[in-house]
Amino acid sequence: MARLTIPPQELVHPGHAACPGCGAALAMRLLLKGLGSRTVVSVPACCWTVIATPYPTTALGVALLDNPIESTGASISGIRAAVDALGLPDVTVVGFAGDGGTADIGLQALSGMLERRTNAIYVMYDNEAYMNTGIQRSGATPEGAWTTTTPVIGVGRGKPERKKDIMAIVLAHRPVYAATLNPSFPEDFVRKVETARGIPGPRFFHIFAPCPPGWRFTSEATIEIGRLATDTGVFPLYEVEDGRLRITRRLSSLKPVEEYLSRQGRYGHLTGAERERIQAQVREGWERLRREESVGPPPGPVRPGVAATSGPEPATVDSG
Amino acid sequence: MAQIVMSGNHAQSYAAMLARVQVIAAYPITPQTTIVEKLAEFVADGRLPAHYLQVESEHSALQSVVSASALGARTYTATSSQGLLLMHELLHWAAGLRVPVVMGVVNRAVAPPWSIGADYSDTIAQRDTGWIQFYAESNQEVLDTVLQCYRIAEDPAVRLPAMVTEDAFYLSHTVEPVDVPSSELVDAFLPAREARAVLVPGVPARLGSFTGPVEYVGFRHDVARAMDRVLPTLAAVEEDFARRTGRDHGGPLPTYRTEDADAVLVTMGTATTTARAVVDRLREEGHRVGLAKLRLFRPFPVEALRSLAASVDRIGVLDRSFTFGPTGAAAAEVRSALYAGSARPLVADFVAGIGGRDITPDLIARMYAVLDGPEPPDVTWMDLAAPEARADG
Amino acid sequence: MIEIRFHGRGGQGAVVASELLAQAAFLDGKHPQSFPFFGVERRGAPVTAFCRLDDRAVRLRTSITRPDIVVVLEPGLLRAGGVMDGLPPGGLLLVNSRDDPARLPAPPEVRRASVDATAIAVAHGLGTPMLPIVNTAVLGALAAASGAVRLDALERAIDRFVPARPAQNRAAARDGFGAVRLAPAEVAVRAPPVRAGRTLRAGLELPDGPLAVVSSATIATSAWRTMRPEIDLGRCTRCNFCWKFCPDDAIELNAEGYPVVRLEHCKGCGICAVECPPGTIAMVAEG
Repeated sequence: MARLTIPPQELVHPGHAACPGCGAALAMRLLLKGLGSRTVVSVPACCWTVIATPYPTTALGVALLDNPIESTGASISGIRAAVDALGLPDVTVVGFAGDGGTADIGLQALSGMLERRTNAIYVMYDNEAYMNTGIQRSGATPEGAWTTTTPVIGVGRGKPERKKDIMAIVLAHRPVYAATLNPSFPEDFVRKVETARGIPGPRFFHIFAPCPPGWRFTSEATIEIGRLATDTGVFPLYEVEDGRLRITRRLSSLKPVEEYLSRQGRYGHLTGAERERIQAQVREGWERLRREESVGPPPGPVRPGVAATSGPEPATVDSG
Repeated sequence: MAQIVMSGNHAQSYAAMLARVQVIAAYPITPQTTIVEKLAEFVADGRLPAHYLQVESEHSALQSVVSASALGARTYTATSSQGLLLMHELLHWAAGLRVPVVMGVVNRAVAPPWSIGADYSDTIAQRDTGWIQFYAESNQEVLDTVLQCYRIAEDPAVRLPAMVTEDAFYLSHTVEPVDVPSSELVDAFLPAREARAVLVPGVPARLGSFTGPVEYVGFRHDVARAMDRVLPTLAAVEEDFARRTGRDHGGPLPTYRTEDADAVLVTMGTATTTARAVVDRLREEGHRVGLAKLRLFRPFPVEALRSLAASVDRIGVLDRSFTFGPTGAAAAEVRSALYAGSARPLVADFVAGIGGRDITPDLIARMYAVLDGPEPPDVTWMDLAAPEARADG
Repeated sequence: MIEIRFHGRGGQGAVVASELLAQAAFLDGKHPQSFPFFGVERRGAPVTAFCRLDDRAVRLRTSITRPDIVVVLEPGLLRAGGVMDGLPPGGLLLVNSRDDPARLPAPPEVRRASVDATAIAVAHGLGTPMLPIVNTAVLGALAAASGAVRLDALERAIDRFVPARPAQNRAAARDGFGAVRLAPAEVAVRAPPVRAGRTLRAGLELPDGPLAVVSSATIATSAWRTMRPEIDLGRCTRCNFCWKFCPDDAIELNAEGYPVVRLEHCKGCGICAVECPPGTIAMVAEG
């Protein structure tokens, strides 16, 4: 029997209401494998509001708090303060938000949480559009992708603008740890979760979450498409700790982006020229990442530390 | 018990400290700022061992204390005007999650145009969110009511959020002597929160959830029922508070010289103090007038108003805001409460003091005069004219 | 007024079917009303849509609880329960099924019709074999079985309102019209069943607020599935890839390390079959 390469514990219960082949469902499952049961998760309006199943049921084996779409960052600051005040420093606090709830409407609260050094993990699971409401464009939708609000009809050619670079925005706040994670690489995924769990301070995960209905592919292809995203350079895997960037899946050569695009109906309308432009952008992004890896951390203090919550105890430095 | 000359804002801060709040969220807005500044001092000098969250908006301020309260912590935040409006979404969350957040609100006008004057438009616009609403008349009442609110809000029969409001500048920046109870007294009156139905780390549960219509109706109805239990809870809490401190603020609708009164003015907040003096003057002149203070706006003291109405011919209501309906909000609520009662006195609305206009004794006397006149209009805007040069009073 | 209730899976086109029927009926001179069940939609999860057709403006804005016609886009849903709710004696049940309509599981007083819309949809290249879009074929069958709408109106509606492959969809509707099979009610009349209905728990306190503590494992999601994984354990290397990548936590490993599919929770996404390195997992159509 093969050794298990990821923890056996299951903190996402079956019976949940994700679409078949949902990348976001697998993301939560792998995340909680790495975090364990003493975790509190705050979830804004997003696919996971529904996936977690209606009252009186819950799909998580951990404590779960609902919050409105734009305030996940503030919610986890409050939860952190509460568990510290209640003398439960071993608890891991997680915000688990979609790309719209993070990169668009939730950006202010995310920035606030990072800036005030909340000791918590903020997760953006990125299915690259407002999927819970039915595939509307978000700031994280990639250029060229079809959505219901960037239709391919008449002059419409999918989303005209480029995807918002959430990692750059987050890194400008100097988190203690930030990483890109992809459920198609479960071992790398869980290792990053376990690494981050041991570092107190504001942490951020950008998780790739393929969406069969929204990206127009059949449900069995979720893992393959995730793998292609990384191996074409569309979604490189890396981590940034103390300002040091490290690519965690090294590629001697990138696969052609076309292998990734051609698997998804949302890109079906793209012309050769449009595909070449995307290829050029992906190559440029990959080269920039490799340069940043070789340059090393920027000068100056990179880890301002954990939020100095005033209180009877010194600022809490937890293990999770 | 020590007497300290302090502002209404500092009365909020002292009350939060005495309540031993565990999590505070702060975002500045005039004229609330001195509340959170004083709390920052208390936290920094060690008098208040609380976690003080510096948030980036009022929306996040309320979200963070709602989440902290959902985990069982005792929490406090404060805001005013635009900040309260930005919190609106979270006000519903606090009530729906049944978290006993207590918040100080300094009543201030809503822009545009910008104004920082006293005005109830901000809190009146939140009356339908499931929060308990107290309107304070004095700095003492601010401090005492915040303490009472923690008891009421955290009561297992209630578990609803509560706001204690004070008039911009008339209380927020007015200093007057305040009895500050000892921490021993407050600890005995207000023990640590016994959290019920909260999230416990390590225990799988989802707070918030989503529901079908059947459960949704049930949860809304539960909030309504909990609101119904506020009045008896307030009575018990106030009795206990009076026993310990000797101070009784008179329940949801304290009255003044209403016995044998023909006309009664219903007031809120600081205008009440001025109106009391006017009642004395008019009584000396032989007018049979009285007043009733709407101390509690949510839940609305329907029964107390009905028993008042049983012996009164005319009721005037002073509205320090206007809601662009048939009358101002307070008058509309008074009428609605009395419509199904056995006595239906005439109810006339007086809009006054909005945007920080002074509510002078003369202005209040004129309200009584209109109320006593041949045909009091439904709504009278009392202070449209610029103030006269001479001193009122 | 005719009240029609559609049952399908998210992604199959039940809501579109209801709307398309409304458009067709409008072209036919009727006053239609169509709306989906106001809930969350998930691909593969059961969905409901409602359509009313009348000669004058419809004056009801409520769900359809006493339908004249129930249309089922996916035979597996007949197992899920609730589909037949409120269908009165003499009502019509139309199911996308290969089966003889007389064999459809329905109360004996109900008229039954079946059409193999899946085969028609696949033949015309509508949707994918795992999730064929059967709505136009079913609507053709509905036109034939009920007369609620005329076929030519349906075809005109498809031309106007179906953006993708209108010609194939029109052909599917025509095929459905021709292929429907009917079975009469077995019993002419029986007293309509009295339904208890869901009554609001009057005065019931939910003292804990919206705090949910029941595991979702109590919810079966097997009805979402059209295909099921079958593992050839003889060739299984116990690499546990299928377990690792299952988004639904529907595969567990037994004491020997072999995967066991929890069929009550498997949604049939097919990831395990694709990811299995030795290819020992096959996706098999549900019967």
